[in-house]
Amino acid sequence: MMSDGMEQKPGETPQTAVPLWEVRSISKAFPGVQALDNVSMAIYPGEIHALVGENGSGKSTLAKCLAGVHQPESGQILYKGEVVNFPHPLAARAHGVATIYQEFSLVPSLTVAENIYLNRYPRSGAVIDWDAVRRGTQQVLNQLGLEIDPDAVVKDLSVAEQQLVEIAKATSLESNLLIMDEPTAALGLVETEHLMKLIRRLAAQGKAIVYISHRLDEVFQIADRVTILKDGKWVTTTPISQLKMGDMVRMMIGFDIQQHYPKERNSKAVPCLEVENISTANGVHNVSFTVNVGEVFGLGGMLGSGRTEIARAIYGLDKLTSGSIKLYGRPVRFKSPQDAVAAGIGMVPENRKADGCFFNFDSPKNITVSRLKELLHGPFIHLRDERRIGETYARRMNIPPSGLERSVQFLSGGNQQKVIIARWLFSKARLLIMDEPTQGIDIGAKLEVYRVINELTASGISIILISSDIPELLAMSDRVAVVRDGRILEIAGAQQITEYDLIAAASGANDEEEDAEKRAAGITPQA
Amino acid sequence: MGHLSKFFRSTVAGPLVAFLVVAAAVSLATPRFLQAQNLANVSLQVATVAVVSIGATLVILTGGIDLSPGSTVALVTCTLAILVKNMGLPLPVGIVLVLLLGIVCGAINGFFSTYGRIPSFIVTLATMSVYRGLAFLITKGTPIFSVSPALEPIFYGRLLGIPLPFYYVVILYSLAALFLRNTVPGRAIYAVGGNESAARLTGIAVNRYRMMAFVLAGLTAAIGGVLLTAWLNSGSPNYGAELGLQSIAAAVIGGASLTGGYGSMIATLIGALTVAIVQNGLNLLAVPASWQEITLGAVIVLAVGLDMWRSSIGRGIGNIFSRRTPAR
Repeated sequence: MMSDGMEQKPGETPQTAVPLWEVRSISKAFPGVQALDNVSMAIYPGEIHALVGENGSGKSTLAKCLAGVHQPESGQILYKGEVVNFPHPLAARAHGVATIYQEFSLVPSLTVAENIYLNRYPRSGAVIDWDAVRRGTQQVLNQLGLEIDPDAVVKDLSVAEQQLVEIAKATSLESNLLIMDEPTAALGLVETEHLMKLIRRLAAQGKAIVYISHRLDEVFQIADRVTILKDGKWVTTTPISQLKMGDMVRMMIGFDIQQHYPKERNSKAVPCLEVENISTANGVHNVSFTVNVGEVFGLGGMLGSGRTEIARAIYGLDKLTSGSIKLYGRPVRFKSPQDAVAAGIGMVPENRKADGCFFNFDSPKNITVSRLKELLHGPFIHLRDERRIGETYARRMNIPPSGLERSVQFLSGGNQQKVIIARWLFSKARLLIMDEPTQGIDIGAKLEVYRVINELTASGISIILISSDIPELLAMSDRVAVVRDGRILEIAGAQQITEYDLIAAASGANDEEEDAEKRAAGITPQA
Repeated sequence: MGHLSKFFRSTVAGPLVAFLVVAAAVSLATPRFLQAQNLANVSLQVATVAVVSIGATLVILTGGIDLSPGSTVALVTCTLAILVKNMGLPLPVGIVLVLLLGIVCGAINGFFSTYGRIPSFIVTLATMSVYRGLAFLITKGTPIFSVSPALEPIFYGRLLGIPLPFYYVVILYSLAALFLRNTVPGRAIYAVGGNESAARLTGIAVNRYRMMAFVLAGLTAAIGGVLLTAWLNSGSPNYGAELGLQSIAAAVIGGASLTGGYGSMIATLIGALTVAIVQNGLNLLAVPASWQEITLGAVIVLAVGLDMWRSSIGRGIGNIFSRRTPAR
């Protein structure tokens, strides 16, 4: 049945064959936004179809219409040329649609195997056949090339491993269409490679894949065709081979990016933060570095290398067991973030939803919360002043006026991030710790974050930048420290170090080479 | 948009509609409800619940819960009776001392649930038992009647023909609303309840404001206790047993979210009024006390339920799905 388009070579638009899945002129509105406006798209069996666009362009909504999570207000969904209706996700599931969402749907307290077979445990009689569960899970994991114990409890796994289990779960379902929404957001290089291979294998089996990603390099690496959405409208669907990266970006954001990273160098030879030999019980060991006024100081390293822990120590979240910190030449000792904030440090946390946003506040209140004292007239906050000032800062960050009146939960991820940065602008922070400031936000918003970084440093604010996006880290930093196991291995000018060097040093690949050389020379390396 | 549609999307609209529906239902069920004498009674009955509900709302806004105010009220009525009647202290001194006692009770709740890191539900469940036990201990279990003739005017006095408790409620709610809307600690309480982690990273002293909410809850419970002593001119370890639940009900019917961060004083006042007229209506209809308690329980579940269902339709797509996935 699935052979309709099987002979179709990937990368070519099959004109004659009936698409496996098709959406025709579907529209979907949410309060205040037209999420999808007359969008059409066809997906053929064996095709890897990328769906790209900025945050808020409607790609996730489109995926959710296919998955039965949302019901379009107009338009049709067709399966093998016949109109289907999905009143709920289970109906889509029954038609063979499997989805991997950005957020996890795993039960943290259950094991990998239990999660993968959740709700569909094989039984012998009335009891669950646990052997079959474990065997099946092992098979799925093997297919993916994953070395994860089927009996491991999900909450004990790393975020990357959890994401892989999520993918394993979706691929283990009987499906003909697999929708992947940002599947690599939490993955490292190696895992991403594995995933790409798996996706190709699944496509070769005749499954259709809808691949949503912000990482355009991945899209070019994996996709056969790409559909670009902008502001809920269809822009184009075209074989990836006929598209250049620059064209794609232009179609996504509607303008040209002259320079991907518009870095300005504003570093002055005046120290802002001096960290000397600090250690914490949380795994920071003898770390020393200096951040100059107006400098972007990058902390590069793998997930779990201790980058975040160094930031936590500076911000007063973890107690120093030794060492000292000076801010503008004066020794400081922060017992809590409260002290750090009072001294003029701000933090843009990695997880903006869990640690950054107040969803019970609108944008202006989210901004002013960092320095309410500024708004006091006598003992009282002047609400009209607050609103005016909050809105001024929001406008400075190009947050759309429609987003000001409502809870920040209605803002896109990029705009939420800008609200949090604006918060520290308002508080007049002199040193900003930015932990993964562009994670999960679209190119347009990323560019704005870069622009803001330039603006901040030009006004004399210093920045500690933590980013897993290594090209970004190297491009936007003045100097970069390589962090591994809670130690700083080296500090180099960001222009003096290549992406390869940084990854090699941060992952310990250099050591292994050295060890290998030493072994070859008959010297036993020390642990 | 018109003022009307703006009103209907506001947080007060739901509780107000619920209040009006309940009021209409009660007045249909018994014509005596709308009689002037009865309405005057209701306004007296609501005073204690309303005052105690201020503290309940503050604690709930921080994401905590206080089960103990009913016991604090009992302890306050007993202590005030002993101080004034048995020990012969002047009434104003006695009142100041029991207000301090309320603050101490609140501070104990606050200390263990913030710095002690024990969930406030557990701490106040324990102190609910402890404070009432203390009330039994100091009175040896017997109520103390006819505390002081000076107490009566505090509750039964009138100003411009309106009973004094009306003024207490209006003044205390105005102060509380001003505190919440227009002061740094008020805003911090919302921030702590809205997102504790973000509040901490923004430099807000989370524990201090949690503590403050509990201390203020102790204070409003003590004020409620003084009002109750004046109302009944007596102190008893059995007083206020229903106040803990009723104050939480008032806040929740007013739309306060038990996860913290959402709620307002005016909405809680409407909630307290709703609780009071339900109780009054049942009294007028001569419903036995056991059924009154059952009804209050049902009203709480209904109020929370309606709020959940309303938000799942209204905030709808936004809320339910955005917990897992951003709006688009």
